[in-house]
Amino acid sequence: MSNLWLIHSEAESMDGAPIIRLEGISKSFAELKANGDISLSLHQGRVLALLGENGAGKSTLMSILAGQLQPDEGVIYLHEKPLNISSTDKAIEAGIGMVYQHFTLVAAMSVAENIFLGHRAPLFHRRRTLEKRVRELAEAYAMDINPAARIADLSMGEKQQVEILKLLSRDADVLIFDEPTAVLTPLEVEGLFTTIGMLKKAGKAIVFISHKLDEVMAIADDIAVLRRGRIVDVRPALQVSSTAELASLMVGREVLLTVERQPMPTRQLLLRASGLSADVARNVDLQVRQGEIVAIVGVAGNGQKPLIEAICGLRRPDSGDLELFGKPWREFFSRYCQDNILSYISEDRQGLASCQELDLLDNFLLTTRFDFCSGPFLLKQRARRTISGLLEEFGVTPPDPQAQAWQLSGGNLQKMVLSREFYRKPLLIVAEQPTQGLDIGAIEEVWKLLLMAREQAGILLITSDLGEALSLADRVAVMYGGLVVDTFSRHDDYKVEQIPQMMAGLWPPKSDELTRMATA
Amino acid sequence: MPGMRIIKRQEPLGWRSCLVLLVAIGFSLALGGGLLLVRGVDPVAAMGTLFVGAFGSRYGIEDSALKAIPIFLCSLGVALAFRLRVWNIGAEGQYALGAIGASWLPVAMPDLPAYLLLPSMITMAVVAGGMWGAIPAFFRQKMRTNEIIVTLMMNYIAISLLDYMVYGPWKDPASYGFPMTATFPPAAVVGKIGTTAYSWGLVHAFVLAVLIWVFTTYTRLGYEIKVGGANVRAARYAGIPYDRLVIGVMFLSGALAGWAGFLEASSTLNRLQPSIMANYGYTAIVVAWLARLNPFYIAVASFLLAGLRVGVESLQLDMQVPAAFGLIIEGLVLLSVLAGGFFTTYRVTRR
Repeated sequence: MSNLWLIHSEAESMDGAPIIRLEGISKSFAELKANGDISLSLHQGRVLALLGENGAGKSTLMSILAGQLQPDEGVIYLHEKPLNISSTDKAIEAGIGMVYQHFTLVAAMSVAENIFLGHRAPLFHRRRTLEKRVRELAEAYAMDINPAARIADLSMGEKQQVEILKLLSRDADVLIFDEPTAVLTPLEVEGLFTTIGMLKKAGKAIVFISHKLDEVMAIADDIAVLRRGRIVDVRPALQVSSTAELASLMVGREVLLTVERQPMPTRQLLLRASGLSADVARNVDLQVRQGEIVAIVGVAGNGQKPLIEAICGLRRPDSGDLELFGKPWREFFSRYCQDNILSYISEDRQGLASCQELDLLDNFLLTTRFDFCSGPFLLKQRARRTISGLLEEFGVTPPDPQAQAWQLSGGNLQKMVLSREFYRKPLLIVAEQPTQGLDIGAIEEVWKLLLMAREQAGILLITSDLGEALSLADRVAVMYGGLVVDTFSRHDDYKVEQIPQMMAGLWPPKSDELTRMATA
Repeated sequence: MPGMRIIKRQEPLGWRSCLVLLVAIGFSLALGGGLLLVRGVDPVAAMGTLFVGAFGSRYGIEDSALKAIPIFLCSLGVALAFRLRVWNIGAEGQYALGAIGASWLPVAMPDLPAYLLLPSMITMAVVAGGMWGAIPAFFRQKMRTNEIIVTLMMNYIAISLLDYMVYGPWKDPASYGFPMTATFPPAAVVGKIGTTAYSWGLVHAFVLAVLIWVFTTYTRLGYEIKVGGANVRAARYAGIPYDRLVIGVMFLSGALAGWAGFLEASSTLNRLQPSIMANYGYTAIVVAWLARLNPFYIAVASFLLAGLRVGVESLQLDMQVPAAFGLIIEGLVLLSVLAGGFFTTYRVTRR
C-alpha cells in the first residue's frame, strides 16, 4: 500500500523527492511491538496527518523521528541519504523539530530568550537584535507575538507559537505537531491553521497528529492511518469523502460519534456551590443534580482547576458555600473514603490519578481499596481478578495487572483510570477532560459510559472541547477569567451560539457607550 | 559519557539484581583492601582475619548475632519510614530514647515483679522512641521542616539527654563515679534462650519482623504507605490522610528503634550507660538500603554488618588496623550499593 502512496504523491507534489523517507521502521518494547515495518514519506509543502487509536504507535514513530528513540530496524533517509538520528540534537541538526503537546518553555523568561535558548551562539548577545529577529520570523508566518513578553503571561496559543518559532529559528524543514489543537480555543485553532498554511507555502513538510477528524480533513494533504503499530492506509486527503470514513479506517469498524441522549428527570441535588471562591475562581454559583450532565467549558487556565480541586477536596475553598450531598465541605470530606460516592477523573493522569512506579493492581486499588478490605487486610487476590476483567473490558493494552503505570501510553492509562472510576459506581462524577488524548473509538465508549452513569449519578464535565460539551451536556456553564460567565440549557440555541464569544471574554457584549465610559 | 546511552529498563531485573548487589559489595571490599595496602597491611590476609573473626568461631557468630539485634530493629524502623519516602536519619536518637524510657522503671521501681516490669519497660521504650520519631514528622507536615535535619539534630539531643541521666539523677551511688545506672534487677532483664548464649531478644526481633512484614504486605495501611511513598499527590487524591500517615509511620519507626534500645539496655548491658550508643542507628540506614527495605534481607544484612563490626575488632587486635576501618567499609558499602542501584533501573548501551 505504501508503494501506491508513493505514486500518488509523486504525481501530485511539486517536488518528487521526499525530504524525509522512513523505510521499514520497527520498534519493540519488550513484548509489545509499537511500530512494525513502517514506511512513510514526508514531502516539501505538504501536510501529512497521522491518525491512529491510542497505542497505535504514533508517538513512538514520531519519537524515533525526533531522535528520542532508536528504531530496532529500518532506515531514515534525509534527501535520500541515510541518516542516523541518535539524539534530539541530531534531529534538530537534520532540520526535524517537534511541537510537543506539553510545552517546553521557561515560564520566567521572555519569548525571545526562550527561542534562542540552547542555540550555539556567542556568549553575549544584544536583546534588541534577538527580539528583532523573532519579530521578523513571526511576521513571516503571520504570527502576532511580542518578543519581549514573559512566557508566564502568554495564552496557550501564544506559547505554542513560541514553540513553533523556536523550531523555525533553528531552520527546521520538518515540523511535527503532536495534538496541537487540544489546548487551544476555536479562534486560536484558526490562527494555527493559517500559520500551518504559511509554513506549507514556505516549503516545510508538516506532520499533524490529531484525534479530531474534522481538523484532519481541513488541514491535511495526505492521511496515514496507523493501527496496532502498522500503516494500514495512506492516501491523499482528497480521496477521503467523510470523517466517518476516516473514523472507520482508524478503528477498523464504523464509528459515528453521535450518542443518543434521552432526556432524564433530574433528582436529588448533589452539588451546590454559591459564591464559592478558590484561588482564581471567584464567586462561582453552580449546581449539579442527579441525572444531569453539567459541562463547564472554557479555555484551560480560567479558574476551572482550583474550582475542581475545591469540589474534589484537594483544596480548601477560600470563601463561599460548597455543599456536597447536602453536607458542608468539611463534613463531607471527613468521611470521603468511607462513603466513596464522589469520583474525580483527573486530567492529570500521570501525576494525580496514578502512581507511575506502581503496577496496575496497586493503581486500581488507589480509589477502590475500601471495596477490597476485610478488617485491616487488603484482599489483593479478589482485586486482581476484578481488575483483570476490567482491563480486558476497557481494552487496556497490556491487560496485565502487573504492568507498571509508566509503561502505558497516555490513552491506555486513561482507560485504566476510567475503568477504575466507573467500577466504583459513584454518585457524583467530576470528569476533567475525560477524552483528551483518546482515540475516536475510545471517546465513543467514554461518552456512552458517562451517559449511562448519568442515570444514577450527577456529572460535572470539564472540557475544552466544545463538541464534547454539546454532545453530552444538559446544561453548560462557561468560565472566563475565574468567573462563570453564564449557565444555560443545552437547548438555549442563542446562547450556545455565543459560547466562543463567552470563552474569549467578549460576553456580555459591551455597548459602545459602556466602553467609552470605561476608557474615560 | 560520549558514545553511551542510558536507557530505563522496561522490566525489573529479577535475580540479576542480586548480582549487582554482590558486585557492589565486592567493589567496596576491594576499595577497602586498597586502603589497607596503603597502610602496608596484606589485604587478603586482613579480609581473611575479618571474616574468620566474625563468622569463623562460635563466639564470633554469637557476638555477631547479638550485635545484629539492635541494628535489625532500628533498620526495620527506618525502612518503614523510607518506604514512605520520609528520610528518618534519627534511629540513633530514637534508640537512645527507647533505652532511657526502658531504664526508668527498673531504676525508679526495682521491686516490681517481672510480669509487670518487662511489659511496662517495653511500653515506655516504644512510647519514648515513637514520640522521638513523631515529633520531627509533626513538624515536617505542619511547618514543612526538613525531616533529615530535624531527626539528625534530635539525635544529639537524645544522646545528651542519656548522658545527663546517667551522669546525674540516675547515677548509681555504688559505681565509683562511673556514669551508669545501678544494675537492673533480674526481673527487668530479658534473659538467654535456655542454656544458649542467644538472648530472647532474637525472638522479639523475629516476631516484630513478621508483624511488620504482614503489615506492609497485606494490610490496607501498608498499601497506603506504599502509595504515599510513590506519589504524594495521588495519595491525597485517593483520600489517604497523608499527614497522619507520616506521623504514624514515624511513630512506628521510632518505636522499633526504641524497642532496640530497650533490648540493648535490658538484655546486653543490664543497665543504662553511655556505651549503649554504638552507632547502631546509623548502621541501620546502610542496612535498610542494602536490603532494599525488605524485612528478610534486612535480617541478613544486619547480621553481615554486625559481623563486620565483630571482625574489625579481631582485625584491630591481630593486625593493628584502626577501628575506624570498620566505619570506612560500612560507608563504602553504602555508597557502592547506592551507585549499583542505578544499574537495576537503567541500563547503559553503546550508541
